Amino acid sequence: MSMEDYDFLFKIVLIGNAGVGKTCLVRRFTQGLFPPGQGATIGVDFMIKTVEINGEKVKLQIWDTAGQERFRSITQSYYRSANALILTYDITCEESFRCLPEWLREIEQYASNKVITVLVGNKIDLADKREVSQQRAAEFSEAQDMYYLETSAKESDNVEKLFLDLACRLISEARQNTLVNNVASPLPGEGKSISYLTCCNFN
Amino acid sequence: MAAAAAPGPRAPGGDGGGSSSASSSLSMERIQSLTDLSDLEAAYGRLCEEEKVVQGELDALLEQQSTIENKMVALHRMGPNLQLIEGDAQQLAGMITFTCNLAENVSSKVRQLDLAKNRLYQAIQRADDILDLKFCMDGVQTALRNEDYEQAAAHIHRYLSLDKSVIELSRQGKEGGIIDANLKLLQEAEQRLKTIVTEKFDMAMKQGDLPQVERFFKIFPLLGLHEEGLSKFSEYLCKQVASKAEENLLLVMGTDMSDRRAAVIFADTLTLLFEGIARIVETHQPIVETYYGPGRLYTLIKHLQVECDRQVEKVVDNFIKQRDYHRQFQQVQNSMMRSSSAEKIEPRELDPILTEVTLMNARSELYLRFIKRRIISDFEVGDSMASEEVKQEHQKYLDKLLNNCLLSRTMQELIGYYITMEEYFMRETVNKAVAMDSYEKGQLTSSMVDDVFYIVKKCIGRALSSSSIDCLCAMINHSTTELESDFREVLYNKLKQGFPATTFQDFQRGVTSAVSIMHSSLQQGKFDTKGIESTDEAKQSFLVTLNNVEVCSENIMTLKKTLESDCTKLLSQGFGGEQAQAKIDSCLSDMAAVSNKFRDLLQEGLNELNSTAIKPQVKPWINLFLSVSHNIEEEEFSDYEANDPWVQQFIVNLEQQMTEFKVGLSPVIYDTLTGLMTSLIAIELEKVLLKSTFSRLGGLQFDKELRSLIAYLTTVTTWTIRDKFARLSQMATILNLERVTEILDYWGPNSGPLTWRLTPAEVRQVLALRIDFRSEDIKRLRL
Repeated sequence: MSMEDYDFLFKIVLIGNAGVGKTCLVRRFTQGLFPPGQGATIGVDFMIKTVEINGEKVKLQIWDTAGQERFRSITQSYYRSANALILTYDITCEESFRCLPEWLREIEQYASNKVITVLVGNKIDLADKREVSQQRAAEFSEAQDMYYLETSAKESDNVEKLFLDLACRLISEARQNTLVNNVASPLPGEGKSISYLTCCNFN
Repeated sequence: MAAAAAPGPRAPGGDGGGSSSASSSLSMERIQSLTDLSDLEAAYGRLCEEEKVVQGELDALLEQQSTIENKMVALHRMGPNLQLIEGDAQQLAGMITFTCNLAENVSSKVRQLDLAKNRLYQAIQRADDILDLKFCMDGVQTALRNEDYEQAAAHIHRYLSLDKSVIELSRQGKEGGIIDANLKLLQEAEQRLKTIVTEKFDMAMKQGDLPQVERFFKIFPLLGLHEEGLSKFSEYLCKQVASKAEENLLLVMGTDMSDRRAAVIFADTLTLLFEGIARIVETHQPIVETYYGPGRLYTLIKHLQVECDRQVEKVVDNFIKQRDYHRQFQQVQNSMMRSSSAEKIEPRELDPILTEVTLMNARSELYLRFIKRRIISDFEVGDSMASEEVKQEHQKYLDKLLNNCLLSRTMQELIGYYITMEEYFMRETVNKAVAMDSYEKGQLTSSMVDDVFYIVKKCIGRALSSSSIDCLCAMINHSTTELESDFREVLYNKLKQGFPATTFQDFQRGVTSAVSIMHSSLQQGKFDTKGIESTDEAKQSFLVTLNNVEVCSENIMTLKKTLESDCTKLLSQGFGGEQAQAKIDSCLSDMAAVSNKFRDLLQEGLNELNSTAIKPQVKPWINLFLSVSHNIEEEEFSDYEANDPWVQQFIVNLEQQMTEFKVGLSPVIYDTLTGLMTSLIAIELEKVLLKSTFSRLGGLQFDKELRSLIAYLTTVTTWTIRDKFARLSQMATILNLERVTEILDYWGPNSGPLTWRLTPAEVRQVLALRIDFRSEDIKRLRL
């Protein structure tokens, strides 16, 4: 495993109501496809794409989850190991936006406190059917301290940007972590007393 | 060249004067202007040479004359022949043109013949068809009169497969009127037959007369009623499924709770239902294939699935009601929300229902896999010549049927609840195992490690037995969380209490550990820390926890390997989608990563033990070295030999101290600990060494002491300690030198196989410890 050809490996999990276009976003990014008439996802799906950012190979493991309620207990089990969550809603569906606080509660409950959450309003190609204004979403994301972006999986708008920006942020986050880690670890053989508090809860 | 091209007939040489300017390099004027004798002679010589050349060329030309004349004669002779050939050629051309015209004529005739032949065949075909049509008309009537429906249907089938244009044509013929009438009769017969077959089929179905049902089922496709036939036949089959299922459900409701299968009775009922449907498919697939052609099984199963869904719904409804499934789920959810509720549901109570749900799902998966395989192979036969689009279309139908059927959705819902409940079961049972943790003397680990892994294995195993890959992965994820966060936290808290030291630090440590115990019990509430243990107990608890941590790390890897092979088995049976393997691999590798976290924890614990228990003891023992003078003469040296001043006691002390750990720790951990200890000794000894002074014999004494120490340490550890003591050994070498300059025998190009671990500055520093070495000599050394 460690001999694989990449510098970073990140887990990204897409969540959000059923039918907001999670699978299409993943397919667009990983395969460059927009499959019309995409059926509902069963359980979780799993895609891999390796991208190069500033000369470094970044392997993104993207988990596409089912939005339907009955799969919730399956999808929740993936939150904790996620480095990033993409919380998706449909700009033409008020309901999918109104459910966001509920999703945030789930994130709070199950995800690691280090997780990066991105809010994504999908389907901007259907501008004439828009129900959720950009301003509202921007305000909401600001209040929740989330990065926010609008995309169209169909027109391929901002999809690449979404994942690549996220990968960049994950890289810089990972760099900071290793820095903190190095400072905290005692020098070998020095028998320095160990401060347990800095050592726990690292993933 | 110019000479060769000169015209032949002109006489050679004769009038060289006039035209010689062309062939001679000397003009007449130039010759005439010559006055000098030598010049004239030279000009003459050149002219003579030129003449010779011209003469040679002329001779060659003359030689060719006869050949050319011969050729001319031959040409003259050929003249008349050529005229003959021209005549022949013209004749030949005429003949070819004629033949060509003839051939074209013939082939166009052949083409016409061919067309005529085809028309003739068509005419015969039509005549045959018309005859057939008449035959059908008569035949149907007779067959219907005789109630020979198969025969009638065969006639209708023949009629339906006739070319429609034939029928049109025959109506236009002379006998149009009669045919029209007959055709009408035939159409009437077709309608009548359809009605009769439908009626008869319905009647047979009502009476449950299988042979009759099958008889009429076979007639439908002959009348072009494939869909209708399949739908009617499935209606009949669904009725059978329904009545059987109802019977079974009644039996279930009346089952005694003491029955052996009572705990899985709903899973059994589903099994019976699925087996029934599978048997029906198995029995009737050949008929469908034979009479309806391949690719029709999908339609039949689609109809059957509707009934299956209906029956599943009933069974599951009853299951939910009787087992109180939703209420139990609610209760679990409430218990998970409020961490310390009085009404916590007892995890053991969930055990049977969890098992039953996974069994129900496993049966469903098995059934769905069965129909999937059947439909795929049926489509494959039917679509062998079909386009890629048709194949994809069919695949889509199949996916839709499998994914959207109520059976799938119902099971997904049950499994959704199951996962939450199983997670609760696992967490609560693990908590219980931790609370009831006990340690038996003579054991290295305490009971909770085995218990916890037994529980985790059981829960994942149960999820695996559901045959649902997503369910399995979810439970692997939850187990990873449970082990990494909750259980690791338990062990971590135990280690945090520290290993009580035995010296004056006792008091200090006692206070901090009491505080930390109180702190952790306030935080954790659920874990019984058994109050403040006595020092011995606290020591043992620390060592046992270290062993526990190590075993955990190993158990996780074992668990991962076991699960890997279990999953391979499941996948090889065809369960799970294309991504199944990748999903499982990813989840399992997350789990394996936890093993390393336990390793890290072990390392931290060992460092803690080393720095709080070993270092405070070992350091004073090593410091005693300072009180033993190494600035000694012969007399003291032999006295040391008789009464060892330091190293023997040091070794005895070490031995005593390590016995406690050797008994209490697993061999692997003990080995790591001794490794840490040897490093510690090497570092500390180096420190005191640099604070001492040595005479020549003192150096020898130190060398002896170091050898004894290394010899002892080699016996207690499997690590190679030579490396750790390399610096010290080299220092001993330096302290044993006769003269300062002797170091050069070992240094630089003379070092041989020895790799110096000391810098030149350090070498000087050590040399300076020898009181008999002069500092100027040391300074003068060129290292």
